[in-house]
Amino acid sequence: MSLETASPRKLLAKPFSAADKVFFGIANVAAYSAVVIVLLVLVFLSVRAWPAFESQGVIDFIFASDWNTSVQPIVMHVGPMLWGSLLIAGIGVLFAVPMAISIAYFIEFMAPKPIAKATTILVDFLAAIPSIVIGLWGVFVLSPVAAGWAEMLHDSLGFIPIFANDEPNFLRSPFIAGIVVSVMIVPIISSITREIFSQIDPELIKGALALGATRESAFRKVILPTASGGIVGGVLLGLGRALGETVAIFFVLNIIYDSFNWFEILEPRGGSIASLILAKFGEASNFEVDGLMAAGVVLFVVTLIISSIASYIVAKAQPWRKD
Amino acid sequence: MTTLLTPDPRPHKAEPWRLISFRTKVLIAATALLPALIALSYLVVSGSDFMATLFTVFVPLQLAAGGLLGYLTTGRKGIADGLLYVVTFFFSLFVLVLLMSVIWSLVESGVKAISPHFFYQNDRYVGVTTSLEYGGVGHAILGSFLVVGLSTIVTVPLGLATAVYLTETRGKSRGLIRSLLQAMSGLPSVVSGLFIYAMLIASGWTTYSGIAGSLSLIPLMLPTVARVSEEALRLVPVELRNGALALGAPAWRAFMQVTLPAARTGILTAVLLGIARVIGETAPLILTTLVGATTNLNLFEGPITTLPTYIYQYISLGFDTSIQRAWGAALVIMILVAVLFTAARIIAKPVGQTKTRRVRTK
Repeated sequence: MSLETASPRKLLAKPFSAADKVFFGIANVAAYSAVVIVLLVLVFLSVRAWPAFESQGVIDFIFASDWNTSVQPIVMHVGPMLWGSLLIAGIGVLFAVPMAISIAYFIEFMAPKPIAKATTILVDFLAAIPSIVIGLWGVFVLSPVAAGWAEMLHDSLGFIPIFANDEPNFLRSPFIAGIVVSVMIVPIISSITREIFSQIDPELIKGALALGATRESAFRKVILPTASGGIVGGVLLGLGRALGETVAIFFVLNIIYDSFNWFEILEPRGGSIASLILAKFGEASNFEVDGLMAAGVVLFVVTLIISSIASYIVAKAQPWRKD
Repeated sequence: MTTLLTPDPRPHKAEPWRLISFRTKVLIAATALLPALIALSYLVVSGSDFMATLFTVFVPLQLAAGGLLGYLTTGRKGIADGLLYVVTFFFSLFVLVLLMSVIWSLVESGVKAISPHFFYQNDRYVGVTTSLEYGGVGHAILGSFLVVGLSTIVTVPLGLATAVYLTETRGKSRGLIRSLLQAMSGLPSVVSGLFIYAMLIASGWTTYSGIAGSLSLIPLMLPTVARVSEEALRLVPVELRNGALALGAPAWRAFMQVTLPAARTGILTAVLLGIARVIGETAPLILTTLVGATTNLNLFEGPITTLPTYIYQYISLGFDTSIQRAWGAALVIMILVAVLFTAARIIAKPVGQTKTRRVRTK
């Protein structure tokens, strides 16, 4: 038996068999279905929303105030709702950021390992609580307590216009809605912050400490600048979630359609686009449904902008991650 | 220049090998306990509001004590350190207190409404003021399982195939699809419900039904499933894939018999997280399904109740007993979520840590 007589080995596996083509075809179709779904959502809502935009004027629809379908012609403007959504999300983020960064710092740099692990699980569990449950808790447990906080703020700092309140009660205000929202977005922000914190090179921090930095200055000068991109991205993701929050806000907020509540966060009046859709949906006429679709389009576009900025920043903040 | 070359002499009492001296330990204990004790005694003596005492007495005292501790142990630059510790502790505890408050109020108010029949009866003969001895969430549990189950059946293959596209192929639009999935995960749930309403219900293709609810959950579930399974597939070492391919397996068999089994725990986690993401979704289901009092197993017509819409409706009714029912249903949904969450945790335990056992040869 010499080498020459051995017959050349036959390749049994084809580089691309029919089965492979099916396999990759399925993957392709599935992946493009994501594109199709997003496009479908946008196109369908826009088509249905167009009559409302046309009759009200796009600028008026977005920025003017009042939503009244009992007058002729019908008035559908979402200005106060859009502003209310942004205000509540802003308050929520304002509360959530210090809590989220603290808990991320606590888990990554302060707590002993078992405690850090337990805290991580608890915070992740907080993220898993459905928003309707948070809403229920917000109405019956948090609202009375938070109204007490609001009253304290008003009594001590009431001379600042933000904390002014002419109404007799402190319930159902953007302040309380903001706290409820912050409970939901703390886990989002903190999990991204923790992720970024854990990827910081520990030698960087130890080097700073060895050069005479204290923990505080190491945090301020080393950890925060390195992690800032990730934190900002996490905050924007939380903002997106806060803007889309519907049911919980619907229960804890007194929605006023015809006037802006610019900054009086303790007053029991505010707005939220998502809650507007929920509130008006039940007895809406066909044309009003078009208006609600238009409100949905506005909300979707705003969240889309925010979440794409967020994903861009998060990706930029992790240059070491290869895709 | 000379000042640079002659270092400070070591303080004669310094003991750098000792991490925390006895004096510091005492100071730390005092810092941790004294402000709380003072605030507590102030609370008892003056009898003022708990929250007011917390924010006007305890927090400033604790901050001052933290700063003082920093100053006494490491000098002037330690002040900020002490403050950092106090602030971090305070905020972290605040988050945990909020969480505990949610869980405690759920358990406290939910248990009152829950009894064995609460799990299997429906609300056929229940009015808003019927006592809690009758009726339950049986129909809502079944409805939730059906609606979420149908979305899971559709979404999981779709999400998994998307993850395959993102990891196993060299498709040109991977970046685009990844960012679209990101954008989709920010899709407000109410807009998703509105979309299904506009497409199916308003145009008359179907009425309010379970299937419309299931469809409205798909865009919410897909990003979670796709992203987590992508992570899971990415964790499979590339050598395994290449090994399978080098042994002559076609790509689909390499995936089915090597990559998929290697990533199965991660993919199971993806499924569980996806279910946990949508099981509590309320707004899209309010827009696409109707709440009924009876058990309905038909997804294609008739009112179908799910746990979130049940809670929503009973809060809206506003009677004492109806709100208690809402608490009970909330506890049920939390138990479901907790089970899913724990299962995901147990499954997701990193198995890669256990090394391949070495075979002994002699």
